[in-house]
Amino acid sequence: MLTQAELIWLLGAVAKGDEAAFARLYEATRAKLYGVLLRILGRQELAEEVMQETYLKVWKTATTFDPMLGSPITWMVAIARNRAIDIVRKKGEASIEVGPEALAVASEAPAPLARREMTEELKRLLSCLGKLDPEKQRILLLAYYSGWSRDQLSKKLDIPVNTIKTWLRRSLLEIRECMGVL
Amino acid sequence: MYDDEHDALAAEYVLGTLSAEERDQAEALLSIDSGFEASVRQWERRLGELNVMVEAVEPPPDVWERIKTGIAPIQPSDELQFPHVERFESEPSFAAALDSRLSEATAPEVRPVVALADGPPPTERKRVERGADVVHLARRARRWRRLTFLVGAIAAVLAVYVAVWQVAPERIPLQLRPPAAGMLARQVAPGASQPPQDRLVAVLQQEPTAPAFLLTVDTRNRTMVVRRVSATPETGRSYELWLISSRFSSPRSLGIVGSDEFTQRALPANYDADTLRTASYAVSLEPAGGSPSGVPTGPVLFTGNAVEAVPASQPAAPPRT
Repeated sequence: MLTQAELIWLLGAVAKGDEAAFARLYEATRAKLYGVLLRILGRQELAEEVMQETYLKVWKTATTFDPMLGSPITWMVAIARNRAIDIVRKKGEASIEVGPEALAVASEAPAPLARREMTEELKRLLSCLGKLDPEKQRILLLAYYSGWSRDQLSKKLDIPVNTIKTWLRRSLLEIRECMGVL
Repeated sequence: MYDDEHDALAAEYVLGTLSAEERDQAEALLSIDSGFEASVRQWERRLGELNVMVEAVEPPPDVWERIKTGIAPIQPSDELQFPHVERFESEPSFAAALDSRLSEATAPEVRPVVALADGPPPTERKRVERGADVVHLARRARRWRRLTFLVGAIAAVLAVYVAVWQVAPERIPLQLRPPAAGMLARQVAPGASQPPQDRLVAVLQQEPTAPAFLLTVDTRNRTMVVRRVSATPETGRSYELWLISSRFSSPRSLGIVGSDEFTQRALPANYDADTLRTASYAVSLEPAGGSPSGVPTGPVLFTGNAVEAVPASQPAAPPRT
């Protein structure tokens, strides 16, 4: 993985239409984005389709990326997740039940990372997440990593949907307070 | 900071827990409300770091081939009706032309043009080795699909304007009635890319994540549009829209909300722009045809405050809860 400064530089070159820079950006970020998409979409062909859409959008909108407002990878992951979640929501909740191997991947949050691999921002977010009840932490992480809706969270965790809704809202606002001004 | 209701909606939009309808609503807000957009960007930043923990998975190699094809430079033939030029290499004159197009393409003002095509053309181009014609056609088909979509989107915007302009013209006082063609042109031109500053928008809802109506008020042209988002039509009863202002002792009716997705009408003449900007809006459930007494008689189901659709030059009134 390239450093954040290198990624910002690459995106700047991409904004000027530099195809070689775009190829390097793809090389540096493809596995992360594909991993994110595969968890949410479950199916390889869908994940590949959204990969294409995402990188085309990156190519077209690189000029709008503002390094003051976040890191390149966060920006790119947001584009990819947004598209993926739109797709699963529009397909309807029922049809995204996926094969057992994808479920096994998606059903639990990823393994914890060695502390030295964490960015400062992630440490801050995790310490705020850590202040929530374990059950609420789990819901937030499952929602983020698996792209589940409130209905899906409710069904899979067997918790009434209104409880999920209240918990999500409360947890998110607590995280906002805890993280303070970015 | 935005109010908690909208911020929670922004947070859940980023987290991904909203339903399809709520996402549509959030996306509608995103496109008209810069405060909401700022909220979304902040949440993307707050939660985005979680991606660090996602396990990387190598995508199949042909994904890159397809992406590369998709970003191939804009050819003159691809821009609608220009003369067809099959392919170009690095001829100096062409490179110069591309360079000038490139600087245009990166200027933010021409982004709609860029959106039509496949992105800024790179200064050097690699030949597409295999299946070039197929690829070329596929690319062009995609471009047309995108164009069709864009035209559809523009048509939708136009439809709203035309409908507002055409709705019950007899209800618009004569002096405010638009001079037929000129009015349309004047409204559409800024509307397509940047909405006029005197447009207010209010999301009327019961719960933060379940907006029922989206109200847009154009204080300059004295029109309003109510879009039904999730409220279901009630048989035998009517939804009535109310303006609630400290300047009046009781809510003032803005009329019945029609059963179609959009209800457009002229604003009553007795509310000035400032009143409209600072008012709250509410929807109550009334007997069919509206409240018999002129004040809400049924339950007030949905409420919201107006915010400027585009930040005005002077600071906008802070959103109230």
